[in-house]
Amino acid sequence: MNVLIVEDERSLSHEMEIYLSRQNLNCDVAFNGKSASDKIHANSYDFVLLDLGLPDMDGLDLLRESKKAGIESAFIVLTARSEVEDKITGLDLGADDYIAKPFSLAELHSRMQAILRRKHGLKSNVMSVHDFDIDIQNRTVHCKGNSINLTKKEFDLLHYLALHKNRVLTRIQLTEHIWGDVLEDDYESNYIDVHVKNLRKKLSAQSSVDWFETVRGVGYRVNA
Amino acid sequence: MTIQVKFALYNAVSKALIILAFMTLLPILVERIVYEHIDKRLVARSERILLTVKRGSIADIVREQDCSFESYNILKEEFVAIYPITDPLKMNNGTQIRNETWSIEGEKLQHRIISRPFLYDNQMYELNIGEGISTIDELKSIIQRFLLVMMLGVILISLFIDLAFARLLLKPLNSIISTKLLPVPSPAYFNFTPIPSSTAEFNQLDNRINEMMHKLKDSFQIEKEFISNVSHELQTPISIIQNRLENIINEGNLSDELLIKLSDSQRTLNRMSRIIKALLLISKIENDQYLKQDTIGAIELMDEVLEEIEERLTEKNITLHKYFYDDYNITQCNRTLLFTMMTNLINNAIKYNKDGGSIDIYSRVKDGKFQIEIKDSGIGIDKQDINGIFDRFKRLNKNKADGYGLGLPLVKTIAGFHKIEIIVDSTPNVGTEFVLRF
Repeated sequence: MNVLIVEDERSLSHEMEIYLSRQNLNCDVAFNGKSASDKIHANSYDFVLLDLGLPDMDGLDLLRESKKAGIESAFIVLTARSEVEDKITGLDLGADDYIAKPFSLAELHSRMQAILRRKHGLKSNVMSVHDFDIDIQNRTVHCKGNSINLTKKEFDLLHYLALHKNRVLTRIQLTEHIWGDVLEDDYESNYIDVHVKNLRKKLSAQSSVDWFETVRGVGYRVNA
Repeated sequence: MTIQVKFALYNAVSKALIILAFMTLLPILVERIVYEHIDKRLVARSERILLTVKRGSIADIVREQDCSFESYNILKEEFVAIYPITDPLKMNNGTQIRNETWSIEGEKLQHRIISRPFLYDNQMYELNIGEGISTIDELKSIIQRFLLVMMLGVILISLFIDLAFARLLLKPLNSIISTKLLPVPSPAYFNFTPIPSSTAEFNQLDNRINEMMHKLKDSFQIEKEFISNVSHELQTPISIIQNRLENIINEGNLSDELLIKLSDSQRTLNRMSRIIKALLLISKIENDQYLKQDTIGAIELMDEVLEEIEERLTEKNITLHKYFYDDYNITQCNRTLLFTMMTNLINNAIKYNKDGGSIDIYSRVKDGKFQIEIKDSGIGIDKQDINGIFDRFKRLNKNKADGYGLGLPLVKTIAGFHKIEIIVDSTPNVGTEFVLRF
């Protein structure tokens, strides 16, 4: 899987590159619009992660050009401008998703996977974690044939943890994923723990949840 | 009161005063003119009679027995009388003109009388010529009536002309007010079209208003750019640190202690990012950078918010009561902002509630207006603190480390943006109630 990171802030593109490489993605980096345009036309990328504030051009123009030229890569718009209009324009121009800075790399990765599922229609939309089957399409969880009734947030939580299995997800990463769109001033709350507690209770009623690990003082991890 | 009405009132009052003054002065004036006229006539007659007397013999005129003469016309309006003067005091009198009531054949009539002493044949005589003045009063009242009618007509006509002129004169001013001052639109919708006027002051006013609007628009634009730049300049370094922290946490092989420190740093960074986001959001709303093009039902909005955060209630075993009696269509709103507002209010009710407490949410029409009430059974707010809860960065509960209090300022800004009135009522240790009136 090939990814082009178009981001003029080198430290940021570097961190993105580290993270995505660890997910076995081949990363290429462009620091300006000109070089991005050249690379997009010369190579075939599955993903273009596009920052809008480029030094030599507006990212939206690059997006428009690329779509006009028939480039089939999936575009994810990254911006710190957080302008609602940017988001709408970006999606109108054919961007597949939009993430406002600062974003979590785990969130970026999960969005990329969602696009993959949507675009290529993966054979199976069901993820298995030990005895539990998570159906992403229908948003249901089954264990040994029994359906488990989860709330929307509980499902999102389990899915996100399963997606990043074997890695610690911090409370902040989880909070941002679950309530990222809600701007509130509750910085110290541990509502995520309440959800995890409820989720664990429902899951453990069906089978063992030893794999659902609490990393004390940090967050949670699904071991598989 | 509009200028036009004031003009009209001033005109009416000033003209009424002029009439009043005229009506008071008129009788005196008429009298003066009439007397002057009569006096001239009397003097002329007396000259003529004296001439006659000097030419002929006075004895031809005066009666034998008392040497006097009296003659009057048939209506007793005019008379001529000559008397010899016996009273030495009267001898040195000159010509006198006065009003006097004369009794002629038992009939008393008001006359204007000229008295002229003259010497004839070593005897002083007094010539009296009188003219009745009872007609003068009649004349006065006729003139008065005539003038009154004429003046009323003139005033009425001039009042209409004044009004029309005032309207014409003030038309540019009214246009300036109605197109530039009354609507108070956001600078994006300012109307810079000059209002044509031949009045120098109005042109100046219009020009200055246009200049000020341009300045305001410029400063809005500058602020907008500033917000956008700050947003970019602050969020980019935060992004870098956040992503770096994520990568370090994911590296593995870290001691538990280090992992906890890193995750705490992540939390602190997140807090900073949220504060910046909230501040930028407030600035952007105040800078009018959000559209209000959505329509949403109040109950739908609340259900959406509750779905998002309802599960948090279980943390403190809080019971939620929904009393959704009436619904209301919120038009021309920004759905995302209203969502943020309601989330913060309900979250507040959860955050400051007691264990096992309750939250009551009402949706109903009260005193002719739709309102949403959010009541919690929480710790409440002291009376003296209530006014400060919407101030940015005000932390009311000093024992609590969390919250830099941007939630409520955000609520207030969003409510203000949508012209929603917020009323807060709170009793310490009983609870707080927020009422949103639409």
